[in-house]
Amino acid sequence: MDELILKLKGEIIEVLNLEDLQPEDIADDAPLFGEGLGLDSIDALELIVLLEKNYGIKLTDPAQGREIFQSIRVLADYIQANRKK
Amino acid sequence: MNLYIKTYRHLINPSPMIDGKEYLTSVYRSLGIDYPKFFKMDNLSKLGFLASELIFKDDPSRFVPREDLAVIGFNRSASLEADTAYQATIQDNKNYFPSPAAFVYTLPNIVTGEIAIRNKFYGETSFYISEQFDAEQIFRTVNHAFQDKKTRSVLAAWIESFDGTQEVFMMLVETETSEIPFSIKQINKIMNN
Repeated sequence: MDELILKLKGEIIEVLNLEDLQPEDIADDAPLFGEGLGLDSIDALELIVLLEKNYGIKLTDPAQGREIFQSIRVLADYIQANRKK
Repeated sequence: MNLYIKTYRHLINPSPMIDGKEYLTSVYRSLGIDYPKFFKMDNLSKLGFLASELIFKDDPSRFVPREDLAVIGFNRSASLEADTAYQATIQDNKNYFPSPAAFVYTLPNIVTGEIAIRNKFYGETSFYISEQFDAEQIFRTVNHAFQDKKTRSVLAAWIESFDGTQEVFMMLVETETSEIPFSIKQINKIMNN
């Protein structure tokens, strides 16, 4: 799981152009939206694309995204349980 | 109406050998700004953003909301660079992942919005495309913007980012008297300097 969390942090930094951040700057349990990384709605869409492109997970229900994108750890758990790639 | 160029900035990537993204990032770093959204912008928006930072960075009343300031952009290639980047994400049917972040920059007027959001400018924003740099069009359009009863300043810019060219010429035009009169001759003079 730790390996997936680290990989995910790198992917998020790259795909969301979080240029000033390193993986170690992102806490596993920090909120991705709001006070945490301060991501916005376009970032949420990019994360949905990332899930499909890199892990074969297709999200169709927006409410599901709200749950999954709570933190890196929650996201990693979801990927672990549902990945097709 | 007599108008004046209060201040201006002219930025050009000095060499086609310098990667556009690297050039813009180096200017950003040199300004010591903390605005992470910069890294999400396309090159056109980055260019406009940086020029506006140079113009307003020492303004003591910066970030006070203004409804009397319009932002008007001009260029030749519209958002073709961003369009191409987005196209690349949908080119291959077997690797078809349209990028929302790339898509949002597939309009040239987004740069005027980015500048307005950053600086809390609530006046008019618009963007015009022409075959080439046209001082007369800029002069005419900026003058028109002052015809309403609200506008007292116009941030006008020629912003081009495509095919190895990166250039922004931005000026703050105001009704308040200053040294440089706003004229077609002056616009050409500064642009060609």
